[in-house]
Amino acid sequence: MPCVTWNCRATRAMGVEILWKNLESVMNRLILVVNLTVLLSLNYTLTAWIPRVYWKAAHWAQGLKGRMLKTKVAPSLAGLARPDKNKSNMSSSELPRKEANVLKGHEGAVLAARFNSDGNYCLSCGKDRTIRLWNPHRGIHIKNYKSHGREVRDVHVTPDNSKLCSCGGDRQIFYWDVSTGRVIRKFRGHDGEVNAVKFNEYASVVVSAGYDRSLRAWDCRSHSTEPIQIIDSFLDTVMSVCLTKTEIIGGSVDGTVRTFDIRIGREISDDLGQPVNCISMSNDGNCILASCLDSSIRLLDRSTGELLQEYKGHACKSYKMDCCLTNSDAHVIGGSEDGSIFFWDLVDASVVSKFRAHSSVVTSVSYHPKDNCMITSSVDGSVRVWKT
Amino acid sequence: MDSDEEDYVFFGTPIEREEEITNRRKKAAAEASGNLRALPPWKQEVRDEEGRRRFHGAFTGGFSAGYFNTVGTKEGWAPQSFTSSRKNRAEVKQQSIFNFLDEDEKAELEGTLGTSSQFDTFGFTAAEHARKQADKEQKQRPSAIPGPIPDELVLPASESIGVKLLLKMGWRHGRAINDSRASSLYDARREARKALLAFASEDAKAPCPADEPVEEPESFTVQPSDDDARSSQSLPAFVCNPKQDLHGLGYDPFKHAPEFREKKRLHLLNDKQRGDRKTMSIKDSLFGSKSGKAAPGFGIGALEEYDAEDEDIYAAGYDFEETCIEDDEEPSRLGIESKQPSRLSIESKQKVVARDQGVLPGFKVASVSDYQLERFDPPVIPKDFAPHHKFPGPLETLKKLDVPSPPEVPPPDDSNLKLLIEGVAKLVARCGKLFEDLSRKKNQSNPLFSFLSGGNGHDYYERRLWEEHQKFGVQAKLLLDGKLSPSMQKMTAESRGKLLGEKPLERSSRETTSSSVASGEFQLQFNLSDTFKKPDSFSKLPEVAKPFKDDPAKQERFEQFLKEKYEGGLRSTGYTVASNMSEAARAREKLDFEAAAEAIEKGKRGKESMVSTQPLDFLASGMQFTSGGLEQVENGHAEDLVTKKMYPRREEFQWRPAPVLCKRFDLIDPFMGKPPPAPRARSKIDSLLFIPDSVKVAKPEEVAITNRDVPAAQTGAQMTIEDVAEEEIEIVAENVERPVDLYKAIFSDDSDDDVEDLNTKKVEDPEKKTEVATTALNRLIADDFLESLGKELGFEVPPDTPYSTNKANALRIETPNSDSGNAKFSTGTYLNPGNETAQDGDSQKNKSIPVRSGGYNSSKHTVGLLNMSGKVNEDKFAQEDKKVKSPSSRQRNWSSSSSSDDERSRKHSKRHRHRSSGSYSDPSSDDREHYRSRSKGKRERSSREKSSHSRKHSKHHKHRSRDSPSRSHRGSEREHSEGRKEKRKRRD
Repeated sequence: MPCVTWNCRATRAMGVEILWKNLESVMNRLILVVNLTVLLSLNYTLTAWIPRVYWKAAHWAQGLKGRMLKTKVAPSLAGLARPDKNKSNMSSSELPRKEANVLKGHEGAVLAARFNSDGNYCLSCGKDRTIRLWNPHRGIHIKNYKSHGREVRDVHVTPDNSKLCSCGGDRQIFYWDVSTGRVIRKFRGHDGEVNAVKFNEYASVVVSAGYDRSLRAWDCRSHSTEPIQIIDSFLDTVMSVCLTKTEIIGGSVDGTVRTFDIRIGREISDDLGQPVNCISMSNDGNCILASCLDSSIRLLDRSTGELLQEYKGHACKSYKMDCCLTNSDAHVIGGSEDGSIFFWDLVDASVVSKFRAHSSVVTSVSYHPKDNCMITSSVDGSVRVWKT
Repeated sequence: MDSDEEDYVFFGTPIEREEEITNRRKKAAAEASGNLRALPPWKQEVRDEEGRRRFHGAFTGGFSAGYFNTVGTKEGWAPQSFTSSRKNRAEVKQQSIFNFLDEDEKAELEGTLGTSSQFDTFGFTAAEHARKQADKEQKQRPSAIPGPIPDELVLPASESIGVKLLLKMGWRHGRAINDSRASSLYDARREARKALLAFASEDAKAPCPADEPVEEPESFTVQPSDDDARSSQSLPAFVCNPKQDLHGLGYDPFKHAPEFREKKRLHLLNDKQRGDRKTMSIKDSLFGSKSGKAAPGFGIGALEEYDAEDEDIYAAGYDFEETCIEDDEEPSRLGIESKQPSRLSIESKQKVVARDQGVLPGFKVASVSDYQLERFDPPVIPKDFAPHHKFPGPLETLKKLDVPSPPEVPPPDDSNLKLLIEGVAKLVARCGKLFEDLSRKKNQSNPLFSFLSGGNGHDYYERRLWEEHQKFGVQAKLLLDGKLSPSMQKMTAESRGKLLGEKPLERSSRETTSSSVASGEFQLQFNLSDTFKKPDSFSKLPEVAKPFKDDPAKQERFEQFLKEKYEGGLRSTGYTVASNMSEAARAREKLDFEAAAEAIEKGKRGKESMVSTQPLDFLASGMQFTSGGLEQVENGHAEDLVTKKMYPRREEFQWRPAPVLCKRFDLIDPFMGKPPPAPRARSKIDSLLFIPDSVKVAKPEEVAITNRDVPAAQTGAQMTIEDVAEEEIEIVAENVERPVDLYKAIFSDDSDDDVEDLNTKKVEDPEKKTEVATTALNRLIADDFLESLGKELGFEVPPDTPYSTNKANALRIETPNSDSGNAKFSTGTYLNPGNETAQDGDSQKNKSIPVRSGGYNSSKHTVGLLNMSGKVNEDKFAQEDKKVKSPSSRQRNWSSSSSSDDERSRKHSKRHRHRSSGSYSDPSSDDREHYRSRSKGKRERSSREKSSHSRKHSKHHKHRSRDSPSRSHRGSEREHSEGRKEKRKRRD
């Protein structure tokens, strides 16, 4: 980070070296530097406003839309967002490759495993019609949610961890209360199995993707059981769904990834030409990762629809298998039908790491929102927790 | 007594009760003695032996409480064994039948209940019985030696020493010796050997007492191993069939149906074998799953169906192994056992055992044994051997044989060019000179192909060509030497008729002379016999007809396909030749075949007319079946690039989020304030129909081709036929395009009219009508959509022009009648896609009688192909039309609502997307545009008509009166069609 070092040197020259030992994150440093520079130029004494840096950092940064931030800091931030070669190499050693825990309890295949929003817990669901809540870090099974009549294919938890939604072969979406384990509501209406389900940001809407070629949005706030929106422009089974603040994105076997922008009322269809198995958003929200059934994962630019990269090497021909990005967006993770886990470099699509995690098809991968931790689930009935 | 009482002084109170009792006693005694008998019956009372009154009458209390008038016990009927389990649990008495039987019944039962030697399977009871008998006799017999000693010394041996030994080893009566084999093979073998040794020794002794009832050892299933063949030979082995069913003894459920016995046995055998290997089989039988694969560990509820969703898709390749094992083991076993259903001969048994025994526990028999029959290598086929007959090519190839060989020329330096030249030379040799001409014409501007017209590499090309001709010529010659050309041998219906002195049918003879290929078409109606003969053209099918040369099997199938297609009037239902192919592969191959057949047809047509450039197209357009021409390879690459470039493809549509959704997402509804979208009129059927849409797009063009040829056949009554053709084009187009509901809505009115037209026409000239109807109907056969697909896959649909010329002709005829029509007609023709043939049409319009030029001829073949496909009943057609009528009205309403315009445009674009996946040529899209524009016009008209009158019947009449008030002398259908033409002109 050349910019930071430059600033470091600058500040050292000004005699504020002591401060650096206390400051932790890059961001803080930057803001501090900006503040220091500006205030020093105003001839304030240093000691007087060191505490203020901590308190008002954000405000200052916003207020200082002047030349300092624009010319020096912004480019460096842009560099942070797209990891350069050195950084990815550095972090490849930090990939979670050591098995920390094995979560056993499911009978039969586990079809999905998901971290909750803060990464302290995880949920898994499978062919045994149960949803299980785990603490993956300690390897403890916490709770069992049983009510589904057939296999459970997907589960999602609200950001506040209070509600769950799940779906599966019984064509219904279940809306659960996490603590009591009771079903609050069931949404019926899909004409076929439901493949994926997601909450929106406010946990007020559940969007489900079904075998009946439709996406359906269900209202959690009202008591109506009818979907508030049916999107049936897909030509084949919808396999996966992603939500942003303003958009609904669905991936379908007809080879399209369709983005439904609620704000402007447009549907954008990106035809990939291959059945899309699973879609996953990058953490910066600019890209979509689409796992296709021709054994390749494709990275799409969301704004232009451009194909940025293709990741190959794994086997994905007949099963629904998840893919995801690491929390730093530096690597792409995907499972394989032979039970392997692949890590690709985001930029140059090279296989950074590959190891055999399960004895059978890896159905799902989920990455911790902050730490270097990953959970994988497989047809062999286990959920495994991987750490560095 | 009274006086006595007065004398005594009494102390205390007398005990009343006792007195009463005595009184009662007295009374009872009196009754018994008959004192009270004098009383009338209603005054008499029933009393017990103590004199108490027990019965008080039904209305005064019934019986006295208690058990006195009942069974007389305190417990009443309560079963003796009942004890309250609260206190003493253990005291539960055992009940038996004797508790409930009377004395006499007990006695009766005692005598009869006993064992019967009849059911003594193993002779054990009999043996016991005999021993007891012997004991008894012993006792009865006066013994010579007094005392008990002889009894102990001389006992009848009820058990042989072998049995005793076996008993010592743990064997029990009623068990087979080899029972324990299941646990461990080794143990079992040892045990069996021991047992057999015991038997052998017994045999050697053989002092079996006479009274030993059954030879017990023999009733066991003997397990002979290899080393005791001697002993097992001396022992006849019985198969003991344990009773495993639930039938009565001796009951044979298969008595009258012996064929099921075998089935059942096989079934059991299978179960057993599978059970040995895996315990999975039980699960299979529990859930009758289609694939037999279910996820382990949990099932679904008893009330739910077990369907496809529940199959365990993740368990892969498991049962495959299983079947493989069964396959290789079963034949031998079953073969053996079916020969001896009840008794196994030792040899066969040994074989089976050996099979089993040769395997160590935990191993299985290899499917490929070391023992192999001596096999000899097949003879080596020479490299240049062609496994297929080459039928004699066109005559020109034979002629070429005589041409002196051009001088040997070194190939050009450019290897690409060399390849190209060789490829072209091969093709030319195969397909004839025509190919050369065409490719020359086509590639005039291409410098690569300059060798065709004497440029670079021409010499080499000449040489190669000669060589190829030589090759083919030799083959053809050989063939000719061997036998006559098949076409010469063929006896057609005509020739046969000639031989027999029949007068040839007028039409067919003409057809065969003018164009041999199309011969099938019209004969279908008139002489069915001809439909079963091979058209001449195909008997002399040249090398072109071998597009799958590099795959002989495929070529064979292709020939079979051609045969089916052209020879038989009735198409065989199953395309059964390639049974080992997957469904998809077969479908694709069929597509290939269809396309290839059509290409061949086109090639021929081109040969005849020498104007069109069609024949080359099938080679150039990247079809799969070309035998490795250069163009194809290039095209393949190009296609790859195209697909790569094509994806990902981005498209944008309008989409309307629900207001609630916007609210929940905390966004402002972009459509706020706008009217709500039109209700969706999409039913399930519509959406189903919508899917094959892309497949059927190519149809209208085809149909046009088909129908425009109809007039070509006619010499007389031109005008009517023209009209008919016109009609047909429209009708069929509507029928085919139907899946799109929009079109449905638009065309519905016309189809109504057309039905009426058809009806009227039927009366007027049925002959022509039937022809036309056949052509139209044949197109409707489901099978034909494959052809259209084939077309879409890269076939150039012949340009629209014959259609336009046709129209031009029709219009021409019309012109004298209506002045206004004249002007319109001219604009109509000029708006047609402007290629050369369209200008042909223009020139034709100047002649008053339509001319059948190459354009017609060329398309005729297609008709020939398409129309041979079978009998069609005409009613179906009318039905088809009626069917459409009903939904159409609804659709019309829907489409008239303007607010749904967006939705509709969206649908259009969807359809476009579909189409673009296949490569279609310009004329076809032109055509579609044409249809669309027409549809608009129709919609206007239909709404107008609707407003004016509602009844369908009146529509027609009104129509006539509006369009042609002065032309009452003409036939109604004629006028009607003209009206339509006018409409089209207006549109154009």
